[in-house]
Amino acid sequence: MMVGEEAANAARLVVADAHPVVRRAVRLSCEALPGLEVVGEADSGSAMLAICDELRPDVAVLDIALPDGIDAIRALNDRQLVDIVVVLTDRTDGASVIEALRLGVEGYLVKSSALPSVGRQIRRVLDGERVISPEVQRAALGELGAFARMAREGSEVRASLTPREREVLMLIGEGLTMRQMANRLGISPRTVESHMAKLYRKLDVRTRVQAVSRAVSLGLIELH
Amino acid sequence: MSKRPAAGHAAGPASPRRLGVILVDPFPVVRAGTRLLIDDRPDMEVLAEAGDADQAIEAIGRVRRTRVVVLVGLGLTGEHDAYWLIRTLRQRYPTHAILGFGANADPTSISRALFVGADGFVDKNIDPVEFLQALRRAADREMVLAIPIASAVGEIVEGIERRREVEVKLTDREREVLVVAAEGLTARQIATRLGVRERTITTHLARIYGKLGVGSRLAAIRMASQSGLVSVGASE
Repeated sequence: MMVGEEAANAARLVVADAHPVVRRAVRLSCEALPGLEVVGEADSGSAMLAICDELRPDVAVLDIALPDGIDAIRALNDRQLVDIVVVLTDRTDGASVIEALRLGVEGYLVKSSALPSVGRQIRRVLDGERVISPEVQRAALGELGAFARMAREGSEVRASLTPREREVLMLIGEGLTMRQMANRLGISPRTVESHMAKLYRKLDVRTRVQAVSRAVSLGLIELH
Repeated sequence: MSKRPAAGHAAGPASPRRLGVILVDPFPVVRAGTRLLIDDRPDMEVLAEAGDADQAIEAIGRVRRTRVVVLVGLGLTGEHDAYWLIRTLRQRYPTHAILGFGANADPTSISRALFVGADGFVDKNIDPVEFLQALRRAADREMVLAIPIASAVGEIVEGIERRREVEVKLTDREREVLVVAAEGLTARQIATRLGVRERTITTHLARIYGKLGVGSRLAAIRMASQSGLVSVGASE
């Protein structure tokens, strides 16, 4: 995205954070630079989504630690409400960084180091760089292996399932009983049972709860 | 150097704790240079070298050691390319550390290597000390990513996520359609190629867009390309 000098071409930001002080710091830091304008503030992910619906900003800056932070990023993506999502947070564990990156965020900024210069960091993101605060890069690497393994195992297990077993797995995820599954698929409960037995073997689990949990951890089904 | 056999040089049993490295790269000069660097260190040695995947499988089969690191040059091509080799080794030797090895590899190639089972990636451009340290860390079961630009982790994660989405969400047939679509064929041409009706292809394409959450064929192909499922020449 090109950012012009004139206010008319300024990149418009919305900031979501639980603390007014942080929102204020972002506003001041951005507005000290030409071409960055904070058009809205919110104290939760859902409030931010409402503002984005109305104002259609270019950039959302939010704390992934907000109770609905992750859901908000998903919604921003699904509804294509903004061009760029930047995380600004205190969370420095690798799992949080990987989760954010999987959701396609363009920046992962840690408050303690990034806040004093947050405007300039956001500008770097707008200029096309994916900015990840140096102190979390190592933690992200540590978690990258687990993520790659999960992705690989997920696709291997997925490839081993028959189309029918995949259907049954989806229905288990929806919480249907065996009888309901039989009705939905137009087959006998006994047949459903046999599909489930094979499915459990392939997932290497013994119970329905384990099956759901394993399928979620392998990314085969999503629970929202 | 030249007196050593190209592959299968077995290590003596004198130092079982030493880290054993297996070098797989199509370029002899790269292997020779890397070997010099490794054999110069007291705590590690090169156990075998191979110039292609099949030689590598054979050489690794003769190695009786723990604490083994296999360096796989991503430049291996052909039917048994680097990714095939990594996947195969991962299945056969779950305890060997496997590292992708390349020069200025793009994040997509690195993602692909990790996705198929590599424990990390080492760039040929990094400092030799850092390179040797990466081998030791890999032998200690650490995930290693020794690349000039650490922030590329973002692109690498995205590449793996795309690959996962493409592989988990699409059926085999849909993937096949997407691969052919990436060649730039029309729906009619895809239908002819796959021996089905044009209508079937447009249905497949619509379903693919829905599953990948994209609005156009171009966006779907871009996603498949980021995932490493297809390689799109100049446009990427």
